[in-house]
Formats: sequence, C-alpha cells, structure tokens
Amino acid sequence: MARQIAQLIALVAAVLAIGSAVARDRGDLKTPQTPWHQVPREQQRALQPVAPEWDRMPGYQQQRLMGAARKYPEMQPIQKERFEARLKDWAAMSPDQRRAARETFQGLRKLPPEKQHELRERWIQQHGGEDVGAPRSRGPSTPDYSRAPPR
Amino acid sequence: MNEKEFASRLKPFLDRAADQVGEVQATKLRSARLRALDAYREPVRLFGLVPVAAGTAHTIHYGVVQRALLWLPIAALLATLAIQSMNDVDDLGDLDAQLLTQELPPDAFIDQDFRSWLGKSHS
Repeated sequence: MARQIAQLIALVAAVLAIGSAVARDRGDLKTPQTPWHQVPREQQRALQPVAPEWDRMPGYQQQRLMGAARKYPEMQPIQKERFEARLKDWAAMSPDQRRAARETFQGLRKLPPEKQHELRERWIQQHGGEDVGAPRSRGPSTPDYSRAPPR
Repeated sequence: MNEKEFASRLKPFLDRAADQVGEVQATKLRSARLRALDAYREPVRLFGLVPVAAGTAHTIHYGVVQRALLWLPIAALLATLAIQSMNDVDDLGDLDAQLLTQELPPDAFIDQDFRSWLGKSHS
C-alpha cells in the first residue's frame, strides 16, 4: 500500500505540474479585461501613457501592466520617469518581443555586475549616447492585440 | 546464556523430536517451509526512507492520522501550486517594472547585437 501511495503521489505531482503549465497558458487567454475606471487610482496614474489603448488590450496584458504599476509608488524619481517614458513602447511590443526582452533581461541579471555594466556601456555607445530613457521608434506604432499571448 | 549456547542446548531436543515426526507431519512441515520461502520478500523502504518488511508493508493498517500524513505531500504540492499561480502575475509585474526602469530601454533587450553579446558573455 505504501508503495502504491508513493506511486500515486508521483503521478499526481506529474499531472499537476503539466496541468498547471497548460492552465497558465489557457488562463492567459481567459483573463478577463479590467475596464479603465476599475483600475485603482494610483495605478491609473502610472498607466496614464497607455490609457487611450487600455480598453483594447487583452486581459492578461492589463493584469501584467497593473502588476508593474503596483511597484510605481516605491520607485525612485528617475525610475518613475523611465517607466512613464517607456511604457507606451513596451505595451506596443508584440507578446513575443516582450517575452524575448524578459528572457534577455533575466540573462543579463545572471552576469556579474561588472560584465552587466560593460554590456550596457557597449550598447549605449553603439547607439550614439542617445537618451536611453526616451521612447524610440521601433516596431508597430499601434499595438497588435490580436496576436497570441503567452508571457 | 547467549543465542549460540541456547541453540546448542536446544538442538538435541529438537533432533530427538524430529525423529519422532511422522511422514505426514514431515510433509506438512516441508510444504509449510516452502510456502514461507515463497512468501518471503526483501524488505522495502517506505517512501524510500524507512525500511519495512515486505509483508508488513502489504498488511499494515494505517490509522486516521497516519493516512492523513500519507496525503500530506499531495496537499503540500497543491498548496504550493496554488500560491505559485497567485504570485505569477505579481512576479511578472515585478520583472516588467524592473525591466522598464533600469538603465537600458526595453528595445535593447530585443536588439540582436545585444543578445549576441549577452550569449557570448554567458559562454
């Protein structure tokens, strides 16, 4: 019996692990939209740059933006400035571009600080020392919300 | 008296008694021994931790508390997954907030050059 229970636990664990991964992706598609007027006032302030597009955004993207906006009150002034300046471009990226950006960012964070600094400097130098906080022209100016989500 | 001494003292009595065992009884004893050998299993490890005789593992009767404890890993797993799914959006929100507020713009992270430098730095 003990062996059977151990096997059962292993089976349930495997099913749950697979199930949760599938459910998360499906959940992305089923996440309900949050109307702008239901977004907390403090988050509305942070999300102001994307307010015109808000009601056309899929629910999963709204939730993630709200998740990011929740950090806004704790940000330093320079971070708030960057957040506001970059938010519109970020929201206009395709889901695949955002996922790729997150992966690259996480990859960068795994490097030692001096290596991270070196790569940042290299990119800034190559891009002519332009204002890295300001939004730049890239990709679609109007977000394509019809594309498939995940992450 | 230790075990060996006890066995050596007992042996003559058993030998004498064995001589008196009839053929029918001897056959019964022999078949009982074979059945016992057939039924013998190597001890198993309960959840890979506690060694338990195989027979015990099959016939053991669990109390209510013990049964509850056996289901504990599944309950813990379910709770972990539930908490994880609740934190998922927060984690992503946190990650996005960090990505949007650090020195480089998000564009940098989809820039092919930057990604290739990063790949080289990791290798």
